[in-house]
Amino acid sequence: MRHLSDGTLRRIYDEPLALTAADQAHFDECAECKPRFHVIANDARATTGLLQVPAFEPQAPAALAVVRTRIKREETARPPRWYERWLGRTSPRWRPMATPAIAVLLAAALLTGLGVSGIAQSLFRIFEPKQLQAVTVSPSDFAQTTALLDYGQVKWLPDAPKLQQLTDAATAQTQSGLPVLMPASLPNGVSGPVSYGAVSRATGSLTFDAARLQASALKASVRVSPMPSTINGSTLVVNAGPALIEVWGMAGGTGIASVPTLVIAQTRVPTVDSNGATTAQLEDYLLSQPGVPPELAAQVRAIKDPSTTLPIPIPKGLATTESVQVNGMPATLIKAVLGAGVVWVKNGVIYAVGGQLTPDQVLAIATSLH
Amino acid sequence: MLQMEAWRPTVTRASLGAINRRVPDPFERLFLQEYPKVVAIAYRVLADRPAAEDVAQEVFLKFHRSYSPDSERASGWLHAAAVHSALNVIRGERRRALRETAHALDPARPTIASPERLVEEAEQRREVRRALSRLPQRTAAVLMLRHSGLSYAEVATALGIKVGNVGTLLRRAEEALRKEVKRATPE
Repeated sequence: MRHLSDGTLRRIYDEPLALTAADQAHFDECAECKPRFHVIANDARATTGLLQVPAFEPQAPAALAVVRTRIKREETARPPRWYERWLGRTSPRWRPMATPAIAVLLAAALLTGLGVSGIAQSLFRIFEPKQLQAVTVSPSDFAQTTALLDYGQVKWLPDAPKLQQLTDAATAQTQSGLPVLMPASLPNGVSGPVSYGAVSRATGSLTFDAARLQASALKASVRVSPMPSTINGSTLVVNAGPALIEVWGMAGGTGIASVPTLVIAQTRVPTVDSNGATTAQLEDYLLSQPGVPPELAAQVRAIKDPSTTLPIPIPKGLATTESVQVNGMPATLIKAVLGAGVVWVKNGVIYAVGGQLTPDQVLAIATSLH
Repeated sequence: MLQMEAWRPTVTRASLGAINRRVPDPFERLFLQEYPKVVAIAYRVLADRPAAEDVAQEVFLKFHRSYSPDSERASGWLHAAAVHSALNVIRGERRRALRETAHALDPARPTIASPERLVEEAEQRREVRRALSRLPQRTAAVLMLRHSGLSYAEVATALGIKVGNVGTLLRRAEEALRKEVKRATPE
């Protein structure tokens, strides 16, 4: 009697209905093939376990839009003309330090969660933000000494996030994994080549260490309250990025001015996992640290759902905010003397548009992004 | 029953009829129909969502440059390109190592209390992918196409082999993978 092959037995495990009648009859009767089948089925199950990956729902329409954009770009691509090459060589590189306050603010908020102080960073990322709320800050209120305090061990897995400056959209998209967004049209005064900044996804952890904090406080001559036992030793794991920033660099297109006129930024929402301390415990502790202005602490405490709200720092006296909508999503419009910006969250991504523009221009760009 | 356990499609299949009626452009139709499968194949190989999405997009771009979306062989070509491109990525070990650690703490995943466990899981996934990268290309391709939810007929079409041989190759591939994993992590 000819027994069923390993391959046939393997297929019975996956596709039992594909078996021929003769093979089925043999399998039903055969005392040798059955135990072989069980071994093969167990191996198949073990392999399935080995190859298991977390669930993931692909978004075909969004991916199609990205591929369509790339196809269009490829089709219109042609070798640059001599004067374009010359412009490319002589254009000043994008310099973050030269950006107007509003762009710096948006980029900082997106890149670091909140770039206000070391403590604020730890605090504000303890969540998975779904909405935004403006909080006013006066950077000068932050005590400089705070920066010297060492709350514990910080590790990056594998490396701290890095900003890569790029000149072409396709690379920016590949590096960041986020689609390059373009406004339907650009307002007058916004022109010139687009610079791209891509930040890879990064994972970092902070393990609170009461002894290290005490030692650093002594060294900096700062008084700190003892770290509660609920915080000491607990680890926070922060996931941030990837982020993609698009900067229109050249006002007037003269090749000399290097002040960005428009910045479009996006990042996946940062999240924090804690292995011990809860959001409430951490908020209580961090907000009472030296160097955190009481006014900011009060605003953060007043946030109804701190685990899902991202505070947007607004420099006191320099900008005002307003609640608006961008394509049906609630958004925060920031109006400053130098320009305007709008920030919103959609499907786990934080978007920001800002620059030396009027609030109307910023909103028009935000709603037309594709 | 037990036999059906392995047959768990990870993607929702769009109704082909509905797509045909709604989308007149053949490339778009092909994309909407095949993208979930193509990205699922790349994701099963890479265990990394952004990297899988990159691979899937590249596969469609490459397809668009060279083939007609009406071709009968479009699906098979896309599946084969997805598995081979993704396998090529894991062979480039350095890039892989960078991304995998970040994936362990993917923001899209529900919050889990123990970060250590996430790191452990990621390490295990990385180990399995390392083992996978050491298998012969065809062996790894059969294994990953089948474990991405493709039927035996689809695996055969993608790799240009007989349906009757898929089971045999798959069985050997599974043994080879487990042997590689065991070899890499001696108890």
